[in-house]
Amino acid sequence: MLGDEAVTRAAEVHLVASHITKQFGAHTVLEDVSIDVTKGEVVSIIGPSGAGKSTFLRCINFLEVPSEGSISLDTLTISVVNGKLQNAGKDLATLRRKVGMVFQSFNLFPHLTALRNVTLPQERVLGRSRHEAEERAMDLLRRVGLESKAQSYPSQCSGGQQQRVAIARALALDPLLMLFDEPTSALDPEVGTEVLAVMRQLAEEGMTMLVVTHEMRFAQNVSDRVLVMVDGRIIEAGEPGLVLTAPQKERTQQFLKAVLRQ
Amino acid sequence: MWHIVTYILPGVGNTLLLTATSFVVGAVIAIPLTVAGRSAIAPLRALIKAIVELVRSIPVLVWLFIVFFGLPQEGLSPSPLTAAIFTLGGVSAVYLSEIYRGGIAAIDRGQFEASRALGLGRIDTGTRIIGPQVFRVVLPPVATYGIGLLKDSALASTIGVVEITFRANAVTQVTGKGLTSYVVAGVIYVLIGLPLAVVSRHVDSRLRARFSLT
Repeated sequence: MLGDEAVTRAAEVHLVASHITKQFGAHTVLEDVSIDVTKGEVVSIIGPSGAGKSTFLRCINFLEVPSEGSISLDTLTISVVNGKLQNAGKDLATLRRKVGMVFQSFNLFPHLTALRNVTLPQERVLGRSRHEAEERAMDLLRRVGLESKAQSYPSQCSGGQQQRVAIARALALDPLLMLFDEPTSALDPEVGTEVLAVMRQLAEEGMTMLVVTHEMRFAQNVSDRVLVMVDGRIIEAGEPGLVLTAPQKERTQQFLKAVLRQ
Repeated sequence: MWHIVTYILPGVGNTLLLTATSFVVGAVIAIPLTVAGRSAIAPLRALIKAIVELVRSIPVLVWLFIVFFGLPQEGLSPSPLTAAIFTLGGVSAVYLSEIYRGGIAAIDRGQFEASRALGLGRIDTGTRIIGPQVFRVVLPPVATYGIGLLKDSALASTIGVVEITFRANAVTQVTGKGLTSYVVAGVIYVLIGLPLAVVSRHVDSRLRARFSLT
């Protein structure tokens, strides 16, 4: 009986990042960071700038190769020893296909229309036909409220619209996990709201999400768990209600005081 | 004067042939050169860098002589036109690869990252994401290089390629009217170069209207 429960629990764990360490020369950016994320969970990572939040997120899909540690997603595990990937190639491609990422600076492809931004990766990465990819893309653009912008180039879209196209682009590959790297930091607060609304909807639909954010309201209202990162370590973690209103660590209190004063 | 013009004009064919062929050869060979120059293998990068510096440090005219007068010593005897295309094509490849390299450096890092994060492979990233954007960035300098190449093709007259300058030279020997001959040659170069500049500007502004890179 106990064994069964353990199996079920293990199956629910979606992403495991274990003992992630990242050094740039003598400077340690991440120090032995480990997290588990279960299926459907929304985890926010907050903390002062320079704490290593973005670096940690980028280590998960190996945009940044950690110095040590391993990442497991579903049944796939990729480990790094001494800055060297132990199993790159195919496994890395599979991992990246299953992890969607949304960047602070959107990074839409400027020479492609919004629609083409969403269809091209589907065709090249998943081998979908143009027709199939377009159907899926239009469906997603509709969901993020941008059906009418399908034929527009990124330069003809506002920042908020670009970010929503970028979300659609990532979702089109049917990821198991979505990473958001300060998705609203480059946007006016008003425009950021429309992006946050899309993210909230995504969370409600059961998407597993890991979000680096400065939006305390989002962290509080949407996420299931909040991690506080300072100087390359997770110093506090727990339910948003607890962490954000009654933080245990002095450093967390200090950070929240500074952020909430704005 | 008219007979001077009619004597020089048939040289346009070889000038265009030489320029266009060298340009295409250079533009194509420059691609693997650029890719190899960005390789993860350090010795390969060093080799490419050495080739680039070597080719750029020696005058084109000297390269032309090395190929045309030097290769026969090794048992190869290229025709003047072949030697000229080989030389100008090779030199163009090196210069154009430097232009391409600058173009790639101008592309935002986020473009490479987004492409990787989506799981696109190196070839797809190069041909579908980065390549088209680089094309847009390098079009003006590449067009400028092409017009420069048109003028450099006159060097081929020194090894006997019968093009515009060669014919202007020849007709001067016979008539003694150097001023007329060479001014006519100059005007012909202008008449060929101007449309090239106009077309490239037109293409550039059309691309610019379609998408901006920021």
